[in-house]
Amino acid sequence: MGTFIQQVINGLTVGGIYALIALGYTMVYGVLRLINFAHGDLCILGAFVGLTMLSGALGGGHPGPALVLLAFVVAVIAISVAGVALEFVAYRPLRKADRLAAVVSALGASMLIENGIMLIWGPEVRVFPSGLLPATTWHVAGASISFVEVMIIIVSVVLMAALYGFVNHTRFGTAIRAAAIDQDAARLMGINVNRVISSVFVIGPALGAVGGLFIGLYYREAYFTMGWTYGLNAFIAAIIGGIGNIPGAMLGGVLLGLFNAFAAGYVSSSWQNAITFALLIAILLIRPSGLLGERVAEKV
Amino acid sequence: MIKKFMIGGASAIAILASGCIAQAAPPIRIGVQAPITGTYADEGQGIEKAVKLLAEQQNAKGGLLGRKIEIKVCDDEGKAAQAAICARQLADAHVVAVVGSYTSGAALAAQPIYARANIIQTSDGTSNKLIARGYKTWFGNAAPNSAEAKFTAHYMVDVRHFKRTAVLTDHSSFATGLADSVVKDVKADHGKIIDKAFINAGSQNFTPVLTKLKSLHPDAIYFSGYYSDGGLIRAQMVQLGIKAAFVGGDANQNVAFGKIAGAAAKGAVIINVPAPQDLPYPVAKQFVAAYQAKYHALPPSVFTLTNADGMRAVMQAIEATHSVKPAKLENYLHHLKNFQGLTGTFAWNGRGKRIGSPFTAFEVGADGGYTIVYPAPSAG
Repeated sequence: MGTFIQQVINGLTVGGIYALIALGYTMVYGVLRLINFAHGDLCILGAFVGLTMLSGALGGGHPGPALVLLAFVVAVIAISVAGVALEFVAYRPLRKADRLAAVVSALGASMLIENGIMLIWGPEVRVFPSGLLPATTWHVAGASISFVEVMIIIVSVVLMAALYGFVNHTRFGTAIRAAAIDQDAARLMGINVNRVISSVFVIGPALGAVGGLFIGLYYREAYFTMGWTYGLNAFIAAIIGGIGNIPGAMLGGVLLGLFNAFAAGYVSSSWQNAITFALLIAILLIRPSGLLGERVAEKV
Repeated sequence: MIKKFMIGGASAIAILASGCIAQAAPPIRIGVQAPITGTYADEGQGIEKAVKLLAEQQNAKGGLLGRKIEIKVCDDEGKAAQAAICARQLADAHVVAVVGSYTSGAALAAQPIYARANIIQTSDGTSNKLIARGYKTWFGNAAPNSAEAKFTAHYMVDVRHFKRTAVLTDHSSFATGLADSVVKDVKADHGKIIDKAFINAGSQNFTPVLTKLKSLHPDAIYFSGYYSDGGLIRAQMVQLGIKAAFVGGDANQNVAFGKIAGAAAKGAVIINVPAPQDLPYPVAKQFVAAYQAKYHALPPSVFTLTNADGMRAVMQAIEATHSVKPAKLENYLHHLKNFQGLTGTFAWNGRGKRIGSPFTAFEVGADGGYTIVYPAPSAG
């Protein structure tokens, strides 16, 4: 029983991170029908910005948790700015062009960010300073859960709930949903679609930066190619949940994390990825537009 | 009779000084065949320097059997064709033994020629072909490729008395190969492997597989992969409350291991051949200090010291048998028990394979530094 609970905790922690990153893919896709392949790298850029904050300012005598909070704020702002800049430089000029051009541009942006990280922070594994957050670990029913894990799970849930509320219960959220359904109609209704598009390139990367910094704080290491691995997993999470669908991305992320944990824990660690992705294929065979993806399938 | 070795020339030039031993006994010639130039020049020059240092030290004590040691160097450039030429040159110079070469390929090309001329060769080459023919003149001075797994199994089963070992590896050919060998050798030592599990290198998310291993109650988790994953595995073991010991293969040795694992690094054990300056044995410390004093640099690698061990064993054989007859020396070396080398205690089997590895187990400290815990540093 303890083992089972532990695997659920393991899955939820990673799943929360996947979900935060997956939201960036799904929101951009929902409005622009574009897979922003540079999103994973933006998230890891957030981890590196946070790393610089945390290791650079460490001598300043800040208490740990306050410094971590500051790192989150700086990373979120920096990555939001980077996200808007990315849209402006790499995607906006191609909005009327062939869809393939935008995909190639996205892949190019991904490589640019990845190699930029390597040039600035170096190709080696960078390590986050220890002792920033309480090292407390609780042991419940044979399972253990650490402070960082609790923080990741709670903050992910709160952020996702806030996003859900924002999109469904505010005027601007309504504008985002309108632009997602039909950009021309939205424009006729007086919605500034460019502002909506910019906003998803703020919200997605901001959540991604939180996810990236979670990775850094949880595993305490970061390296420049990490964006690809996490980006791919989060992208798959978004597809599973139904790309374009916000609760779907959350569900997909958590399911992916849990699948991974159960595959490694109960079937075979050597087949962990194969089992996980076979399950995901099975889901897509039954529901081709993802678990919660019905509404997206209507609009073509 | 005093000899001076002119370093920099291809061969040492002996300068005879006056007023020494009356009956000028001919010197005992020992050859060095090494890549003095080319890709492995650093290693080859290290072997030359180490052998010359040992000869100089011995000559200062009066040489061997009242005779001086003369070193003859041949540059094989790390190439098989040149190695064969070197072997003929050194055989024509009537050397008693040859130290080197550095590469298995060069050693392999030269060995048949030495075998025919009945000249002892001691080299760090570890190719299986070198022992397959069973040349009586061949004495490999580096541990064979299988030594790490053997040492690991011995350490875990006989030294630490782990009853239940779980083996963890990534999917690389290096790590799976090492993991398979450790599994085989632990079983051969009557240890128990409770599971062999895999991680995806770089995936960071190791808690699922570690949670599964925890439920099997291992005494030790052996990880054969690389430091960036190893440090995280150690950290996640502690976070999950796994009490099992962490034992890591040689690829875990990197300063980043301690940084990634943080406070959890303390107590983790890593198995590797130490750098020359970290060898725990007093003889090794003396040798490295003398080497550094003479050449103002550290030996390029541990192979400098294994070749020095070959030279030391040959000198010991000459002294013990009071002879330079190949048959007597070979017999002595094949029956040498517990030779205290610079790189640990070893012996040679009938095929000249080194038995006894230079591997050590070190424990990572709270500050990320290493302490050798086995073999005991006082040994030798």
